[in-house]
Amino acid sequence: MKRMVKWAVLAVVVLAAFGFVGFLYFVPPLMSTDPQEFINGEAAMAPPVDGIADPAVRALAERGRYVLLTTECTGCHVTPGPQGPLPDMYLAGGRRFTTNTHGVVVSRNLTPDKETGLASRTDDDVKRVLRSGVYPDGRSIPHGAMPWAQFSNWSDEDLHAVVVYLRHVKPVRHAIPPPAAGAADAVIPGAFEIVEGVDAGKK
Amino acid sequence: MPQVPSGLRRVASAAVCLLLVGVAAGIAQSPADAPPTDVKTLYDNSCASCHGTDGRGHGPAADALNPKPRDFTRGTFKFRSTASGSLPTDDDLYRAISHGMPGTSMLSWKGILTDDQMRALAVYVKRFSPRFATEQPVPLKATPAVPSSPASIEKGRAAYESLACGACHGDAGGGHDAVASGLQDDWGHEAVAPNLTEPWSFRGGRTAADIYMRLKSGINGTPMPSFADTARDEDLWHVANYVVSLARKPVWEMTADELKDHYARRAAADAASPVQRGRSLVASMACGHCHTPADREGRALPGLAFAGGVRMRLVVWGEVVSANLTSDNETGLGRSSDSDIKRALTHGIKRDGSRMLPFPMGWPAYAHLTPQDQDAIVAYLRTIPAVKNQIPPPARPGALAYLASKFQMLVRGKDFPIVIFAGNAGSAGNPAPSAAAARR
Repeated sequence: MKRMVKWAVLAVVVLAAFGFVGFLYFVPPLMSTDPQEFINGEAAMAPPVDGIADPAVRALAERGRYVLLTTECTGCHVTPGPQGPLPDMYLAGGRRFTTNTHGVVVSRNLTPDKETGLASRTDDDVKRVLRSGVYPDGRSIPHGAMPWAQFSNWSDEDLHAVVVYLRHVKPVRHAIPPPAAGAADAVIPGAFEIVEGVDAGKK
Repeated sequence: MPQVPSGLRRVASAAVCLLLVGVAAGIAQSPADAPPTDVKTLYDNSCASCHGTDGRGHGPAADALNPKPRDFTRGTFKFRSTASGSLPTDDDLYRAISHGMPGTSMLSWKGILTDDQMRALAVYVKRFSPRFATEQPVPLKATPAVPSSPASIEKGRAAYESLACGACHGDAGGGHDAVASGLQDDWGHEAVAPNLTEPWSFRGGRTAADIYMRLKSGINGTPMPSFADTARDEDLWHVANYVVSLARKPVWEMTADELKDHYARRAAADAASPVQRGRSLVASMACGHCHTPADREGRALPGLAFAGGVRMRLVVWGEVVSANLTSDNETGLGRSSDSDIKRALTHGIKRDGSRMLPFPMGWPAYAHLTPQDQDAIVAYLRTIPAVKNQIPPPARPGALAYLASKFQMLVRGKDFPIVIFAGNAGSAGNPAPSAAAARR
């Protein structure tokens, strides 16, 4: 009897060990998950435009959503959480980048929040950043910190559509700290940029 | 639980081509010539990221811009009130700064800089070209405006035809998007004849007076000639009135039904010129950020546009190197079928059937491109000149190392950042930057 218990315990321990190694090995199942799940997840982050009452604004926002989704603005402007980007913090920013060329920057909050987002910025202010990388006070944004030079290839009309969509995503209170000094290759030799997965913003 | 998808979400796309702002000023000037420091500082802070500290139009952001920023050293300026080939007046330069160039990254600085600052910059940029020391601008005189009227517009339409404006700008009567391609400007860049139905993007302004002056002065450095000698002055006013009359509604003024029609027409126009659409998508989606290798200061390595080779460390999953997107048969996409390319772009499945992680390549986002836009991207990629740059396969960690880092990540909650390395990890190595690139 005692022996059986011993064996049973051993079996449980061995199974648990295998289970744990299996857990370590297979979670998260990035390479075995159907690609479609990732694809659906990407679209699910970007809120649909159905709720917009004015049909013309809705049509513009739909175009803006398409441009924003396929340009993958979420590549930077997500709020990293322990399980991946926080879905209810869409475009609220907070990811930290340590770069060689422009120090430590944190992706900004693009939601229309009054204090921490874009609500107080005019359409022209937002367009000027996306097109020319210049803040209303004249400061330039290094184009490596935010690829505005690439986005300058959007037509004026697509640029407008993007801004319309940004005005209709859910406002999220999330304060983003200002840029700081630092260099990637001081942290890791040969590195050009280090992209972190922790939220550097304040809720 | 996994820190992974968060930590390593396809952020890297916003990464690779970072470029240095404020590189050492490279212009040699005698002390007597030296500009007041504050104007130089103003220029370096506000203008140099596109125009370069040396005024050559090769600032760190210039590569991605279309049209390209002005190279001041040539003394060739597009938008002037002066004769064809002539230098611009100070007022012309001031106007470019204060009004900006609609449709481009050249913003209107009005309200950001003071009038004095803009005037000072207009004078400052003249230092870059010796032409201003030896030549004088030849101002053109505008004749009194001919007010627009149906009769004037009709005369303008006739003159538009007789002057063969449509050869580049299309049959503007019904010529929506019918513009010439394959034109080049003096700087060797593609010159796109503006769509005359979209006046909000007219660089030199959209009023009849602006357009009249364009017709009279021409646009230096581009295929747009001056008609000062080849047309009657009055006809230029008629053409200007006609061009103003061609304006269509912009999307921000359209009703829902008009928008529906507009986007359908837009899609049809894009379908008719897939390479152009693909080029614009590849540029704005910043594909080159990961697929064009750069040095540690973020300058693109010469001759390796879209040749891949950017090494990224994902720690847990090992290291991956961005793919060669050029049309090279052995090392690029030359032997990949269209559907191979689209499957990789939208589903992260490589030609050999193996899979990519859902980051740093943003295929889950690109999957939402319309089939037509996917085709356009493929069509454009086919036109990128072949570069031989063999990309090493992903380096996966050993089982023990993998389990150890997974333990760190899943149990101890450690965040493993994506580390992006400078340089080219492909077989073509790291060519030295050209002298021109080093200067910027």
